[in-house]
Amino acid sequence: MDYGIDVKEQEAVVRLHGRLTFNDHAKLRALIREMLQNKAKRQVLDLSALEFVDSAGIGMLLIAREEMANVDKQLVLRAATGQVKRVLTVAQLNKIVTIEE
Amino acid sequence: MAVASLPVDALHGLGVPTDLVQRLAARLGLPMAAPRDVGGRVAVLLGDAETALDPAHWARPFAAWIEVAPLNDDALAVQVARAGQADLYACLTTATASRVQLAGRVVHAVAQRYPLTETQRDDIELALHEAISNAVVHGNLQVEGMKGLSVDALDRFSHELAARMANPAYAGRRIEVSCWLKPEGELLVEVADEGSGFAPHACDHGTSDASGRGLHLIAAIAQQVELLDNGRRIRLRFVL
Repeated sequence: MDYGIDVKEQEAVVRLHGRLTFNDHAKLRALIREMLQNKAKRQVLDLSALEFVDSAGIGMLLIAREEMANVDKQLVLRAATGQVKRVLTVAQLNKIVTIEE
Repeated sequence: MAVASLPVDALHGLGVPTDLVQRLAARLGLPMAAPRDVGGRVAVLLGDAETALDPAHWARPFAAWIEVAPLNDDALAVQVARAGQADLYACLTTATASRVQLAGRVVHAVAQRYPLTETQRDDIELALHEAISNAVVHGNLQVEGMKGLSVDALDRFSHELAARMANPAYAGRRIEVSCWLKPEGELLVEVADEGSGFAPHACDHGTSDASGRGLHLIAAIAQQVELLDNGRRIRLRFVL
């Protein structure tokens, strides 16, 4: 998985690319730190270019959500498609995280 | 389980010494042919992770993938015999299985033999990936899942996983995947590891941790899930 961050005043948009699996633990640690450091209240993960996510990837997204909530920031998952959208549904993540089309 | 014997038709080596392939082929009474010359099922002996990374090495007529190092001739003969008992068979080290994204390779091989819709491919790949990840992370590498939802849990997981993956005593353990594809539209897959096993109820802690969702996802996708051999083997059944 790779990512790029675009920080604006109100929201930071992080675009994820490729596959997000348990192998990406180190990258997720780095990403969560960057999201904690920038000033935006809304941290949007743009998933439109993410091709595959597994249960560990879901778990890491929930850690990101929790860490954002701890500093009064909001995590939003946006524009998931294909397999990623399906996993978010099967894992019923909409009950825990804000999901936008 | 009782399965029909489906012996392989030939043996091929990729990145392994020719004399090893010759020796083993002679011992098992198998021809040693270039894959294009054979119409049947070819078992391939893989020399290292690099040869396993090439997608061409996962296409037909290859139907079994056995990573050689550090197995001796006896162990390799057993592996080829095991390969002959399934339609598709892979036995790789933990490090290689993780690097080549084994679930995707296996699903691709299945799709070459049975038409799958895109959704079926995605679903089966996810279920298989979860089963293989469990075998890799919790089985062979014996790393516990992420407890709670803190970045500290992620740090701990990250460090342990990297340390175990760098330790040949763990990363050299094997992951075995066997598939049986029935013409009436049923796929049976078994994933086995060499860890210390587990009791499934110990992991049934709901969804308050970052880890622990894999089996739930598998159960949501597969028509049947069985844990065998004290948790070291999982058997999934998919109706296609």
